[in-house]
Amino acid sequence: MTTPGAPALEVHWQGGVSPFGVPWQKLMMWFFLVTDALLFAGFLGGYGFVRLASPSWPEQSDVFPMLKIAAMTFILITSSATMATAVGAAHRRDLQRAMTFVLLTALVGATFLAMQAIEWTTLIQEGARLTSNPWGPPPFSAFFFMITGFHGSHVLLGVILLSVTAARLRKGRASGLGVEVLGLYWHFVDVVWCFIFPLFYLL
Amino acid sequence: MERVTPYRTYWILWVILLALTTIMIVTEGAGLPRAATMAVVLGAMVTKVTLIGGWYMHLKFERAALIAAVVGGTFATAALLFFLIAVDAVAMLRMAP
Repeated sequence: MTTPGAPALEVHWQGGVSPFGVPWQKLMMWFFLVTDALLFAGFLGGYGFVRLASPSWPEQSDVFPMLKIAAMTFILITSSATMATAVGAAHRRDLQRAMTFVLLTALVGATFLAMQAIEWTTLIQEGARLTSNPWGPPPFSAFFFMITGFHGSHVLLGVILLSVTAARLRKGRASGLGVEVLGLYWHFVDVVWCFIFPLFYLL
Repeated sequence: MERVTPYRTYWILWVILLALTTIMIVTEGAGLPRAATMAVVLGAMVTKVTLIGGWYMHLKFERAALIAAVVGGTFATAALLFFLIAVDAVAMLRMAP
């Protein structure tokens, strides 16, 4: 619609109506994920610099229970598979299956959070703080709490959204697109862990 | 773009992702040279991200414009961010006693 007297932009615009070919809800989620990815890129970039600049750095296997961290990684990957199944079911209009798998994803995500809470508690009991730790340079624990904390808060938000979506699916109110957009967010949380796990815990 | 992927695909991917994670953990504990460990672990990391982005997030089935905006935009901006951090990092390392 054009205002009388104002230049009609659509006369000059020769581009497509929907150049990305996705609904706006999905596009907005993608844009949000890009900005969020840059937040984590900044964290990991800063971590890399501080680690390189530090004369010493703790051996991760001496600090973290690697079996437990591996289990957490397996759990998060499993939640991505259940979420993808939920999205597939929602596209097929199989709302019962979609609800089951969304709920399963929430439960698996909550399990990840519980394991992270145990990991934090153990490290805090061993003396880790934001400003100091028993293993060496203070930034080690600062980056640990900051990076895993931000990631954990994303998981927590995801679990809440998954629970709400499961309830909406039960009432027949959630759409396939809504489940897909939520799926994008959940898979992003997994992608971020794909970077955190090797860069912070392994290398 | 609406595209229905078979459920089986998601679970095959799940097995591959678990296998890649296992490879990463085993490699890290195998006592290989640092460069070899980094190559394997980082290679597995990039493969995992590509699989999740491509199939679970359906980027493989989206238009090239969206893939370029999302993937290209993220990596280009992150590269700029790292470059700016690196400039400061090198300067601070030179100033260190």
